[in-house]
Amino acid sequence: MISRKLKLFIKVYWVRFAILLAILLLLVLAIWGMMSLESFYRNITLAQLPMQILLVAFNAAIFVFLYMSVLGGRGFTKFSKKITVRGELVNIKWSDVIGMDSIKEESKEVVELIKDRVRVKNIGGKIMRGILMFGPPGCGKTYLAKAIATETGLPFVSMSGSEFVELFVGVGASRMRQLFKRARELAYGYGGCIVFIDELDAVGRNRVFSAYGGTEETNSTQNQLLAEMDGLQEMEDKSGEARPEQNIVVIGATNAPEERIDPALRRPGRFDRILYIDLPSLQDREKIFEYYLGKVKYDKSIDIGRLARKSVHKSPADIANVVKEAALIATRNRREEIKFVDFSEAIERIELGLKHKRILTPREKEMVAYHESGHLITTYLLHPTEDVFKASIVSRRHTLGVVWPQPREELYTQSKEKLLADVKVYLSGYAAEKLKFNTTADGVWGDFKQATTIAHAMVWMLGMSEAGFLGDYTAIPQSQLSDSIKEKLNNETDKIFKSCLKEVEELLKKERPLLDRFAKELIEREELDYDEIDAIFKEYGKMHTNAA
Amino acid sequence: MLSSKNTARCIRMRRKFFLLLVTDYWLLVTFIGCGPSYPETRVKESIIKICKKEYGLDVKVATVGKTITIYLPLTQLIDFTFAITKEASEKINDVILTAARVTLSTDAKVDFYCIIAHDVRIPEIQIVIVKYVDDVKRFLLNDISRGEYSKRMLVDIRLSPQAQKERAIKDVFSKMKLDEKWEDQVMNEFFRAEPTGLGEMGYWEGRFYIKDVTLAEFLAEQTANRIKMEFKEDRFLSDNFLMKSAKGTYVSKEDERYFRFDVSAAPNGEAVEMSAQELQNKVNQAALRIAYQVLHGYRFEDFNYVLVVDITDDRATKVLKEDLKNFRSKNAKLDGAMEVEVY
Repeated sequence: MISRKLKLFIKVYWVRFAILLAILLLLVLAIWGMMSLESFYRNITLAQLPMQILLVAFNAAIFVFLYMSVLGGRGFTKFSKKITVRGELVNIKWSDVIGMDSIKEESKEVVELIKDRVRVKNIGGKIMRGILMFGPPGCGKTYLAKAIATETGLPFVSMSGSEFVELFVGVGASRMRQLFKRARELAYGYGGCIVFIDELDAVGRNRVFSAYGGTEETNSTQNQLLAEMDGLQEMEDKSGEARPEQNIVVIGATNAPEERIDPALRRPGRFDRILYIDLPSLQDREKIFEYYLGKVKYDKSIDIGRLARKSVHKSPADIANVVKEAALIATRNRREEIKFVDFSEAIERIELGLKHKRILTPREKEMVAYHESGHLITTYLLHPTEDVFKASIVSRRHTLGVVWPQPREELYTQSKEKLLADVKVYLSGYAAEKLKFNTTADGVWGDFKQATTIAHAMVWMLGMSEAGFLGDYTAIPQSQLSDSIKEKLNNETDKIFKSCLKEVEELLKKERPLLDRFAKELIEREELDYDEIDAIFKEYGKMHTNAA
Repeated sequence: MLSSKNTARCIRMRRKFFLLLVTDYWLLVTFIGCGPSYPETRVKESIIKICKKEYGLDVKVATVGKTITIYLPLTQLIDFTFAITKEASEKINDVILTAARVTLSTDAKVDFYCIIAHDVRIPEIQIVIVKYVDDVKRFLLNDISRGEYSKRMLVDIRLSPQAQKERAIKDVFSKMKLDEKWEDQVMNEFFRAEPTGLGEMGYWEGRFYIKDVTLAEFLAEQTANRIKMEFKEDRFLSDNFLMKSAKGTYVSKEDERYFRFDVSAAPNGEAVEMSAQELQNKVNQAALRIAYQVLHGYRFEDFNYVLVVDITDDRATKVLKEDLKNFRSKNAKLDGAMEVEVY
């Protein structure tokens, strides 16, 4: 192994060796030459040496400047950064990977397989070539890959898919060849290597075959990836016994949906194992909060479970961001430690965006207040699964106001009642405006779009209409659907829409004092938090849907 | 992907390696650059060895103070036209080069080197070349031009003064019919002394007649040579004057130090219409200009004044050191000059 490492070292750093030898040779020649000179000429040469060095340095500086400004310090096909690091230096252990227990188990198995190839081969098994990780951004795919590298102790070669994409045709393929060349060298030296390609969709998306005989640059990069992965397989088949340079595992990670990745990549023999990394569960979020809170000073009385519940559908990266943002807010407020309010503000800032005041006319402001109050009352009184976290008529991003619902619990399915409640909540802004002003504004457009989408899906896809139309009618080509069927389905959609609207209108008429109160409160205070909202409802003797 | 800790370590290692390389280089270069190629104790041997080994020349070397003198016997120094032969010229150049190499690369304190080339057929005739080591250095470092460098070299073809003296004495001895054994003793006691000026330097009958050349007398001689040359090269001076002689001496007394240039330049028949005084002024101006150029060129300060003597009437023009700079241009007036009488 040592001789192999030495050979690898020489192979990788041969340019440096050559330069070093050349320098030593020149040094010897220079000394020899100087010694053959008489002392006067030697002194003249020595006297000129600092100036010569200065001139050489000046020339070198000009060259480096031009080289950096023209080529960014590298040739077109060279990697833009140091991409290799030894596994143990990555230093991310299983214990550092929080949550994702099932995925961790799978990964541990993969590590065992990588480490114990001989055992796999002895029983005639095929060595794993690749692992593909799917999942939303910020869920720890890269982190997991690093943990795999640490546990295997193998060198870790990491590149992002976008680094293969360049203006020039062929550069991506060339870089891919270089990447695998490097990986093979490292595998030879260290007995194996892990190649990690982040954002694989940049090179691994479904290939496009042009009718004009040409292919896109991405195709050639992906073809090269396929060829390299097949090459690993071939090496294994020909040799018959385990060769170190074949011990390469490619780990790909992407946020893109599975169907966007080319099937050729997903087939066994390439990325043999597919891992789906999901957003963290409530328990995982608690652990993640504990982990990140361990790095900051915070009020120990904070209920971490409550924070975890407030951050439904948040990725580990989002949680890290919440903690970072909360720390910044606490610093700005000159607090010694982070309080719960800082976390609330941080979550709000991340979720809703930064406030930016727009000057509305009193009429516009009133209309927005009634619109949001409609959403608020309907959500609170009719929605079976969501709470109102906050209501606001302060402009954020492109909205003039917002009611921020918060799921009470993590649900992975949506019932008919939940979907109907969603439609009612979306329509309630319209109903409130109409009730108060007997007219409506274009602020309802976004709500209508969402409500229509849900109602349409309930009838056309989910079999939730009263008329009993079952099946996914969107799966049938539109040309094969009769007009009468389409009409009936659309009528059912309309029925849902209208019945929901009617129910909301009745609710708001019935709760008119409450509507007026919330609108007034919002106009005066601009923002209402959960506790304030809850207090007003209790003042009017209203109970939450869930509580009811 | 490298952690910052590793990157820092890597940078530190590279820096150490680079420093080691540079230090080694400087140490080696400094060590080999320290020692002189021709140590003080082996200067003479080195010149003899180089001349013999590289040019096949047998030379003799003697040193007095900070002056090295090399004697080069030649079989054919001059031809029938009394011009230096090509072979002799090449050999003299070889010896000059050897002397330059050794004097430049030695730790011995050498200011001047002198080459005395001698025709073995006619030993009375000799060429004496004197060079200032600092001039050689400046020429090699392109601090002075080739033309200036050649002007700074003293070259003199002359009859050996010692030979003339001894011949005359021997003539007297033969007329007096003295015993030969007494002849040599008398010669040694009374007529074989060290030279007092540059013009008396030479080699005669196996003995060097040399002195430690000083910069002042070297400059005086050089200035006189240049004045002679100026009267040949300058059109006005060559058309109107006939240069008879120019002699330079440096006089160092207790209370004063000065350069004295005895110039004898007579107007020729076709001279422009000028008064005798005006013509003499032209001579004085030329001599003083050359003196200024030489003394300023060497940054020589150890003198109080310059005296240009017209040897035909023993009248002299005296210019103080601080006024000498007024004579840098050809059209300088003799405003700062004083007319004095010399004896």
